[in-house]
Amino acid sequence: MGFMMTLSTILATLASPIAALAQSEAAHAASQEAGHAAEHVAHAAEKIEAIAAPGVGPMWLLLIPVLPLVGFVLSALCAAFRVKSKLPAWLTVLCLGASFAVTLGMYLQVSSGQIANPSVATGFEWIKVAWGAGDAHSIIANFGLYIDSLTCLWMLFVTGLATLIGLYASEYMAGDVGAGYCRFYAAFNLFVFSMSCLVMGDNLLLLYLGWEGVGLCSYLLIGYFYKKPSAVEAGKKAFIVNRIGDLGLALGLMLTAVHFGSIEYSVIFAKAQPYLAALSEGRLGDIPAVVQLIPVLLMIGAFGKSAQLPLYVWLPDAMEGPTPVSALIHAATMVTAGVYLVARAYPLFLLSETALPIVAWTGALTALLAATIGMAQFDIKRIMAYSTVSQLGYMFAGLGVLTSTGAAFHVFTHAFFKAMLFLSCGAVMHGFAGQLDLRKLSGVGSMPGWRVVGIAMLVGCLNLAGFPVITSGYWSKDMILGGAFANPHMVAIGWILLITAGLTAYYTFRVYFRVFVGPKYFEPGDEVHGHAGDDHGHDHGHDHAHADHGDRGHGHDAHAHFHPHAPGWAINTVLAILAVAAFAVIGLRFVGGHEGWVSGLIEHSSANYGGHAMYAAAASHGGEHAHATFFGYDAHQAMMYVSGVVGFIGIAVAFVLHYAGRTTAAKSRADALLPLVGPLAKWAQGKWYVDELYNAIIRVPLLVAAHVFHLIDKAIVDGIVDLFGWVPKFTGSSLRPSQSGVLHGYALSMAGGLAVLVLIVVMVMR
Amino acid sequence: MMDRLAYLWPEIALFIAACVVMVVGISPSVATRKFAAVVAGLGVVAAGILAWTTTPSGNAVTASSGQVLLPGLALYAKVGIAIVALLLLLLKPGTVDRAEEAAIALGVQKFDALRTNRAEFFSFFLFSVMGLMLVAGADDLIWLFLALELTSLPTYIMVAISGGAGREPAARAQEASVKYFFLGALGAAVFLYGFAMLYGATGSTNLNAIHLSLTTGGVSGLALAGLLMSVLGICFKIAAVPMHFYTPDVYQGASPSVAGFLAFVPKTAGFLSLLLLASAVGWTWAPGENGLTVSGGGTSLPEPLRILFWVIAALTMTIGNVLALQQKSVRRILAYSSIAHSGYMLVGLIAGPGDGSFTKNGVAAVLFYLFCYGVMNVGTFAVLSGLERKTRDGQMSEIDSIEDIRGLCATHPRLGWPMAICSLSLLGFPPLLGFWAKLPLFTSAISAGEIILVIVLGLNSAIAAFYYLRLFGAVFLEKPEAGAGEVTASPFVSRRVAAMVSAALVVALVVVVGQLTDASRKAAAPKAEPAASATIPASMNH
Repeated sequence: MGFMMTLSTILATLASPIAALAQSEAAHAASQEAGHAAEHVAHAAEKIEAIAAPGVGPMWLLLIPVLPLVGFVLSALCAAFRVKSKLPAWLTVLCLGASFAVTLGMYLQVSSGQIANPSVATGFEWIKVAWGAGDAHSIIANFGLYIDSLTCLWMLFVTGLATLIGLYASEYMAGDVGAGYCRFYAAFNLFVFSMSCLVMGDNLLLLYLGWEGVGLCSYLLIGYFYKKPSAVEAGKKAFIVNRIGDLGLALGLMLTAVHFGSIEYSVIFAKAQPYLAALSEGRLGDIPAVVQLIPVLLMIGAFGKSAQLPLYVWLPDAMEGPTPVSALIHAATMVTAGVYLVARAYPLFLLSETALPIVAWTGALTALLAATIGMAQFDIKRIMAYSTVSQLGYMFAGLGVLTSTGAAFHVFTHAFFKAMLFLSCGAVMHGFAGQLDLRKLSGVGSMPGWRVVGIAMLVGCLNLAGFPVITSGYWSKDMILGGAFANPHMVAIGWILLITAGLTAYYTFRVYFRVFVGPKYFEPGDEVHGHAGDDHGHDHGHDHAHADHGDRGHGHDAHAHFHPHAPGWAINTVLAILAVAAFAVIGLRFVGGHEGWVSGLIEHSSANYGGHAMYAAAASHGGEHAHATFFGYDAHQAMMYVSGVVGFIGIAVAFVLHYAGRTTAAKSRADALLPLVGPLAKWAQGKWYVDELYNAIIRVPLLVAAHVFHLIDKAIVDGIVDLFGWVPKFTGSSLRPSQSGVLHGYALSMAGGLAVLVLIVVMVMR
Repeated sequence: MMDRLAYLWPEIALFIAACVVMVVGISPSVATRKFAAVVAGLGVVAAGILAWTTTPSGNAVTASSGQVLLPGLALYAKVGIAIVALLLLLLKPGTVDRAEEAAIALGVQKFDALRTNRAEFFSFFLFSVMGLMLVAGADDLIWLFLALELTSLPTYIMVAISGGAGREPAARAQEASVKYFFLGALGAAVFLYGFAMLYGATGSTNLNAIHLSLTTGGVSGLALAGLLMSVLGICFKIAAVPMHFYTPDVYQGASPSVAGFLAFVPKTAGFLSLLLLASAVGWTWAPGENGLTVSGGGTSLPEPLRILFWVIAALTMTIGNVLALQQKSVRRILAYSSIAHSGYMLVGLIAGPGDGSFTKNGVAAVLFYLFCYGVMNVGTFAVLSGLERKTRDGQMSEIDSIEDIRGLCATHPRLGWPMAICSLSLLGFPPLLGFWAKLPLFTSAISAGEIILVIVLGLNSAIAAFYYLRLFGAVFLEKPEAGAGEVTASPFVSRRVAAMVSAALVVALVVVVGQLTDASRKAAAPKAEPAASATIPASMNH
């Protein structure tokens, strides 16, 4: 009950600032309203030009990708020399921290104008394929970095979070010190290197390299506990599902090369200029279909990597990896690569009539679907995974409804609070021997030594739920919702996202109210710590045999002897830093740029705002630029209140159903409601049986076809191949006697061969 | 005379090193004797640096300072040769005098300068490399002949003394050496005969003059006969059909460290001479779009010569590959594969320089392939020389059978992995170096219209997969034999280092493939302004 009090007090004290803020926002919107369309079209051309000519970036920027690579080499050397201490962790933190420092330097120099925005720092010529003279007959892919404010934004949180999570993992992975520890950190560093290539590369091929690199590292780290079948399965699933997306990306890359004759951003953007000009004049017909196809293909790649419909199924399973990996790769950084790709190639996406609407709808539907699944799960890490899918859907929706600022801001805030949520869940998992079932844990936040985790979890949950005003998640989500409702074609998406916001608040606080507050109770998990539970078998009980029943863990002793061990300094420090950061980033909403710091960065990047306005103008066919309203109010202004209220309702429902009057860990009032929703709850718990559906419509037919082809292969093809294999063998054995080893035989053969060859030449020439 | 010397600095450095090695290598002090290998290494390094800094290339080449027809060739070839030679040198310690040194260390035997082979071995190594570098700079048939023989003659002796102390290996090595010498003499006689006929037909031994004569006066019957004989004779050096018979016997008889040397040095010498001869008779250069291109395409070899190369290439790769299929001896597999690789490279020679861009330039493809082949080949032979087992008479001898390398990745990872990586690279498995080497052979042959040959090449690459994957599978997938303990790592660490360096290069050089192919493209380019050189006539299309 005390908790409720706190909430309302906070609300009351903050009521006045929010009103003031909303007013200023309204004034701003009103001033913008005047001559919206004309102004944007007029500004469009000059704003696009800002992308076109990159300056020359300094070479020290290459340190950002190189330092993680150094970390990788050092960790690999640790493995080679069989280091059995935490040395690889400290080396990693050092390298990644240094990389973060360089990134910070890069950001400061870009923002102060010492490095041109954008600029290109070319390391070395990586691949050059030429089939003629001149640039028109070659494809060049340098190992070069494309530096603009979008790069800065992404790299700041990638390197920053990687450093923190590297530190966290030093404690989390302590049970594996030795070969596993080195392997973990090697892959961890390689991931950061690949991610920097992906984000910083100045061409699509380097992005592709990074793209595959992060995919590989993700595979390696999901399957970190490679002795556990479910982890191996999950790793394979992630890898294979991503292949589908990667195919799209590869095709998009090739089509870009074919059409634009280059894969370097600066060249592509320059060559897309005429199309953008045509777009701003409303001549969509002048844009060739090929150009419109490119973003659709790139989008498929983005959907695979960022776990969107229909390719999202790998991400929840990816939670088999160690929790720091889930936090860094599968929540904060890698999965935002798709968002990055769309933002980076935004000028190309604007050129397609269909791409951005598809992005918006896919994002919104994914957000809703994942949220409904998340509501019915019991494994807290898995709930977080679904919430990641859902929030990524938000980001895509944001891009689709033309608020790339909102999307990028949400990526940024989400990176911090979602990493924190995962790390908090990880701390619980670490301390309770792999227990993640919310029915078997209760009141963890008030147990001795768990204070920091409890607070961090609360902060993370508030952010994810979009608790009004005091959380950064509220501000970034609000920007996307406002953008959706402000766009006359996207109002339906706005509603979907609004509903999702309510569901998000509910399932987030369902976790918090059940696990972190309430009566103290716990059942330890049955696993060695650091091992993610395999599918956790909530419906079947923990009847699976653990593949790694070793003697190195704890938690195998009887329940009576089990003592949860509270997190140590490394975990607590990281959680504290992240909790502060999650609040601190709110400030970014109010400094620099008219919609905050992020919008300032985005406006000066390829995902720039001028382009959207132009697109919006063109989409409304040069007519009156309709700025849609929400029941007569300005959309942005209205969303400040509405989304806050929706989030609050979600939290309140969770409070009533999962906190109020709950006396045991296993049961809550929500159980009484289950009969009311009928089979829906069961279906949602079964993840809407999407995996089973995919199995039935894709895997089974493929398996059948595979068996059929196998038979054909065995009967017919193998026969032919055997024949082909037999021919060289037969030839070989019939030629073997010629290698008798007798000297004069050889000499005679040489002379004979010479004569025969001369004869052949003479005959042919006749 | 002095400007002639000015581009022979690398050879001079090797010569000085060889002289020093001959003295140092017979020193009564063990430490000094062992220093001979270091001196040889320093000589090769110095030669490489001098080649890099002093070899004229491009427009700096004059009629008196090098190969005017392929002005960039000497620089590229000499630097590449120095790099691969350094790798090859790492295999050499311990090849000769092993038993004697052991006996001396035990005090059983006194040092006898007359019975030691070390000084000869290392200085012959240097002489052979020196001959190879001279081939790269040759612009005259006599020079070319002498350089070719300087490359080969030391190798006969190196084979003979590489057998070690064991009675059986020593006998095998001596037999191989004798075969190699007599058949080599036969080959040399054939191409010398060809050279003589060329001289008779054109009145000159200078390649530029021959080029001038053949392009203005047409190719007479005598000149053609001379060309055919020269090419067929040089086929011995590159181990191509019909002069390939010696290869498996010699590679198996010699110790792997010397066999690896044979697979690179004489082969490179042969290919460089073929390039020189072909450029003298065909491929008329003229300034193109970017000053480096050729008008009229690159397939301007005289038709009979093209047919000859065509038949040799197709037969060589096919015979090499099918015979490799059935071998149980790794050395024989590598010997036959070395034959097949010569066949691949001949495809580039047939394709010719195209329009000068790398993907269409068969000459650049050959030059690039030679370097890549050198690098990856050292790795496989280094692994063989890095392993040994006891022979019947109790001496240690390098392994030979494929049984001996089973499960090597598990038992000796530092040798197993290089073997796995290098055999995949030799197969042309992307993204390793061998793939990038093979790619331009395909593209250049396609753009030259040699479609049938490309199909033969593709089929042969597929056949090669059988035995290379067998090697890969043996070291990587299969379990070690029960008696695997008998196979031990050789005590000479440098061989292991060579294997690992070679494997590392196979992976790492992929990053700089762009620079390497660019270098080879420049090496295959004609002079930028043909008008500046009086020896090259203006555009002439055959």
